[in-house]
Amino acid sequence: MMAKRKYLLGFSPTRVREPITYRMVKEFDLMLNILRAEVSERGGRLLIEIEGKPSKITSGVKYLKEKGVDVKELNEYVSKDEERCTHCGMCVSICPADAFELDRKTYKVHFKSDKCIACGLCLDACPPDAMKLRIW
Amino acid sequence: MVMTAEEIIDVVRRKGVEKATREVDVVTTGTFGAMCSSGAFLNFGHSEPPIKMQKVWLNDVPAYTGLAAVDAYIGATEIRENGDMDYGGANVIEELIAGNPVHLKATAYGTDCYPRRKIETYVSLKTLNQAYLYNPRNAYQNYAVATNSSDMTLFTYMGKLLPNHGNATFCSAGQLSPLLNDPQCRTIGIGTRIFLGGAVGYVAWEGTQFSTKAPTKNGVPTRGSRTLAVIGDLREMSTDYVRALDFRRYGMSLAVGIGIPIPILDEQMMKCVSISDKDIFAPVLDYSVQSRSRKPLKEVSYAELKSGSIELFGKKVKTSSLSSYYKARQIAEKLKQSVQKGDFLLTEPIKRLPEDRTFNPLEIVSKEEVK
Repeated sequence: MMAKRKYLLGFSPTRVREPITYRMVKEFDLMLNILRAEVSERGGRLLIEIEGKPSKITSGVKYLKEKGVDVKELNEYVSKDEERCTHCGMCVSICPADAFELDRKTYKVHFKSDKCIACGLCLDACPPDAMKLRIW
Repeated sequence: MVMTAEEIIDVVRRKGVEKATREVDVVTTGTFGAMCSSGAFLNFGHSEPPIKMQKVWLNDVPAYTGLAAVDAYIGATEIRENGDMDYGGANVIEELIAGNPVHLKATAYGTDCYPRRKIETYVSLKTLNQAYLYNPRNAYQNYAVATNSSDMTLFTYMGKLLPNHGNATFCSAGQLSPLLNDPQCRTIGIGTRIFLGGAVGYVAWEGTQFSTKAPTKNGVPTRGSRTLAVIGDLREMSTDYVRALDFRRYGMSLAVGIGIPIPILDEQMMKCVSISDKDIFAPVLDYSVQSRSRKPLKEVSYAELKSGSIELFGKKVKTSSLSSYYKARQIAEKLKQSVQKGDFLLTEPIKRLPEDRTFNPLEIVSKEEVK
């Protein structure tokens, strides 16, 4: 069984030159998809999706923590405010990951956060301003 | 019997027009979409000493006050003077309906009868003497589909349009939309009682840009065509059916919920209300062409648009609606129940809307050239 999890990694300025993530991938046989990356005065931030055996992911995360990386598991990158959402469906064609589904029975729009790749394209596309950035 | 414009489709298919006409008296419609040409008239009451307001701001959004002393009109698309594009008249209207306090600032030149020159205070729906929505153009009969052939993302009133025909957006409830169910406006006219933003409202006049010249297919226009000017009390409205919309890098707009009951006068009327999405067409326009005369790339049906994608140049293009079909259904259903219970009475129009009207463009001409 393969699992998929999203993590936000924080690297202190002294760590940004070390290929820590690369070593994790090699050592624990994990597939990694970089969703977002940034280096600033405060250090580096990396938003990744890791795919692999659950036990290997756990070991990989443990390795990162040992290396002094700040690791936060993410369930949601953006969130949908159900009070604001009018279910128009503007987001549906914007999302490259098809994370928004228009139920053609109820005509309600559902946000599937597990499909979200954290691109943020929906944020400035939602007319009633229902999509909010949770992180980053 | 009362049915929604969606429910009637299947009834007519099963029973035929004749039988359906005998059984059904009223068909209710609904739409909930961005309607930029919206706004509200407000009366603030007189201050001590009084002021003849010359400039007015509500939560820093300018309102028009070139009227009597304390009357103003707040337009939905007006934005703050500091350049903030994410808060405008539409938000002020939504806040008023929600019952929230709104900051009022006004300045004046001062007169003998209105000596005050400046005022700052708070108002709410409870303190305002009158607060009514008066929207000069709502409920467009039909509307074009927007796409973008350029290699840049476009931010328009038709939403975010991705490069290289990355998506296409449309804005109509299609088979549930009021004016598509009464294409000739036989029953909808001046004085028609309607559902407006949760309140009982009325058709005040023909909407601006009203046109009877659009080409038709299956008896309904395939272009913008007819529109309605509507009026209703803000006090009776709900933010469920009036909602500020923020089109980033374009500006603000207002989502307005409108529902209109259509009395089934005869079989012809029943035929009209039984129209379904597959028979209603809209042109696809390229919004990267910055001109008023864009040539339609093709015509597509609302059934195709609502399927999730249309085909453009042999490529599957994802579609998005800017009009909430979920809310349109809610409105048609709510109206159906009100009519059934006898809470909502149908009206005969006082006067029919124009049967021959052209929508003129604006030409740049000299004083001598103008017609």
